[in-house]
Amino acid sequence: MIEVKQVSKRFGTISAIEDVSFRVEAGEVYGLLGENGAGKTTTMRMMATILQPTEGDIEISGFSVQKEPVEVRRRIGILFGGDVGLYNRLSARENIAYFGSLYGLEQRRLQERIDSLSQMLEMESFIDRRVGAFSRGMKQKVAIARTLVHDPDVILLDEPTTGLDVTAANIFRRMVGKLQEEGKTILFSSHNMGEINKLCKRIALIHKGRLQFAGGLDTLRERFGISDLDDIFMAVVEGSEA
Amino acid sequence: MGRRVIWTVFRKEMLDLFRDRKALLGTFLVPLVIIPFVFFLLGMSYSNVEKEARAYIPIAVNGSSGLVASLQTIPGVSILQPSNQEQALQEGQLRAIITISPAFEERVKVGGTGEVVVAFDSTNQKSVYARTVIEKTVEAYSKEIVVQRLKQAGMSEQAIKPIASTYQNVATEERLSGGMLAGIIPLMLVVSLASGGIAAANDLVAGEKERGTLESLMTAPIAANHILTAKLMAVMVMSCMSALASLVSLSLVLRLGPLEMESGFSLSFFSPVTLLVLVLTILVLAATFAALELVLSTIAKSFKEGQTYMSGVIFLAMVPSYMMMPLNPVDIPGYYYVLPVFNGVALCKEVFYGRVEPLHALVGLGSSLVYVAIITVMSSRLFRKEGAVVKN
Repeated sequence: MIEVKQVSKRFGTISAIEDVSFRVEAGEVYGLLGENGAGKTTTMRMMATILQPTEGDIEISGFSVQKEPVEVRRRIGILFGGDVGLYNRLSARENIAYFGSLYGLEQRRLQERIDSLSQMLEMESFIDRRVGAFSRGMKQKVAIARTLVHDPDVILLDEPTTGLDVTAANIFRRMVGKLQEEGKTILFSSHNMGEINKLCKRIALIHKGRLQFAGGLDTLRERFGISDLDDIFMAVVEGSEA
Repeated sequence: MGRRVIWTVFRKEMLDLFRDRKALLGTFLVPLVIIPFVFFLLGMSYSNVEKEARAYIPIAVNGSSGLVASLQTIPGVSILQPSNQEQALQEGQLRAIITISPAFEERVKVGGTGEVVVAFDSTNQKSVYARTVIEKTVEAYSKEIVVQRLKQAGMSEQAIKPIASTYQNVATEERLSGGMLAGIIPLMLVVSLASGGIAAANDLVAGEKERGTLESLMTAPIAANHILTAKLMAVMVMSCMSALASLVSLSLVLRLGPLEMESGFSLSFFSPVTLLVLVLTILVLAATFAALELVLSTIAKSFKEGQTYMSGVIFLAMVPSYMMMPLNPVDIPGYYYVLPVFNGVALCKEVFYGRVEPLHALVGLGSSLVYVAIITVMSSRLFRKEGAVVKN
């Protein structure tokens, strides 16, 4: 479970997030929607304890990011957007194993996890090759495997399909479905309404650091009287600027 | 748990660094390629100049005297008479011009002083060598005249040499060898320690920040201090490896290379105690530079910015080394043993002179440890600062 409670984040005089609250239930795939620069990554970074909220708090599986950051980190797996953040001079297996070791996985368990993730993400053909020469899609798969290696309860995915081709994006969606079946809590950020529509039933919509909506997609459609999510998104954005 | 995390991060950093051409070049290029190359070129150049200066000494002589005959007996001396002697000297065709006064022989015969003027070019090493040869010949010729004059006066040479003095050098062969090494090695060692870790330190924090890996690493349930300790150890290893490569490379160059040492190359000034002090000095200097480089790498927002900051570290290493290069350990001011880096260079000099003062070793190593602790705490605070590991 993730609970964001009246969180604000300011960098000097710049307000990145202002009084945002939403709740992701255990086992749910939840969408965090917003344009580039809306504050999605800042919110994710606060959940991952990289940044501290200026006001409010976030609880992950009942642990406060401010008071119990190590407990929070034990329970989350985060995939940052943009740069996939892998060690190019290490092989895919070495990258995943390194993070698994840091989470305290025993050698046998670690190998089992790597084999299982390699199969699930179709990485067997390149698992022992160095990451530097990989395509964006291959790198993204390795980054996802690294995020999941310690089998976290809460998975934070920041723009995970950016730069992926159609096949890789499909593999990714299948994987999210499988993780949901396993009861994982997933927060998925994107600026792509179509993708959110395929994966989530509930969303939080952020614009310029402020929460515009939090709830079910059906409620959102009912409220605006429009079925197309892209149109709703535009209506929200324009409405907040009016 | 802490040790396991430090070992895991350290092992990964070493694997990563050994696969990084930039880091390997930064660590080994200077000691293994540049040092031998520079010494080889330097040695070749000195040895060639000296050989040529000895083999052929063209001089011009104006006037006549028995001195000319003495000069002609010296191997390599060739007396030329170019039309424009001064121009020939300026252009290096002549090494010296000797002008003997017209009344030279007559004056000498009557017990007076004959005048000789030697023109040479102090900016030309070969001309300077010719001056030395002429000076020695004039001295020898002058001595012959003195002996003759004393004989004519019924006196022996001892009459004008009432004191027979002998100068004994108390420096042992080991100390002579160490003294020469003490001039060069601390400089090479300290510069290698500083430069050897730069590429690694820059890659391990600023580089990771730029690639986004540090952010992922900081989301693992491990203490920032453990990550920093592992990175510090990795940078220290690269620094020490660079210093070791420098020592080996320099030893080989001095043993086999074209630079001739007065007393021959020897490492016999090392004793178990001096060797221990040298190892400890290398370790604390490596730790000082590694911690400082990690601070700069943490402050830097990008790899490129990190590289700019790092040039200051080389400067910090070179200043004390150059300042102390001509100093004998007995002339090193006491306060140098508490100044950062200065203390390491001073201890290195004592080691190579074969005698380490226990108080100096204690103060030098102790103060270095204090500096390492201060910089590490600073680095740790910076590392844990919110947003320090985030690219944007």
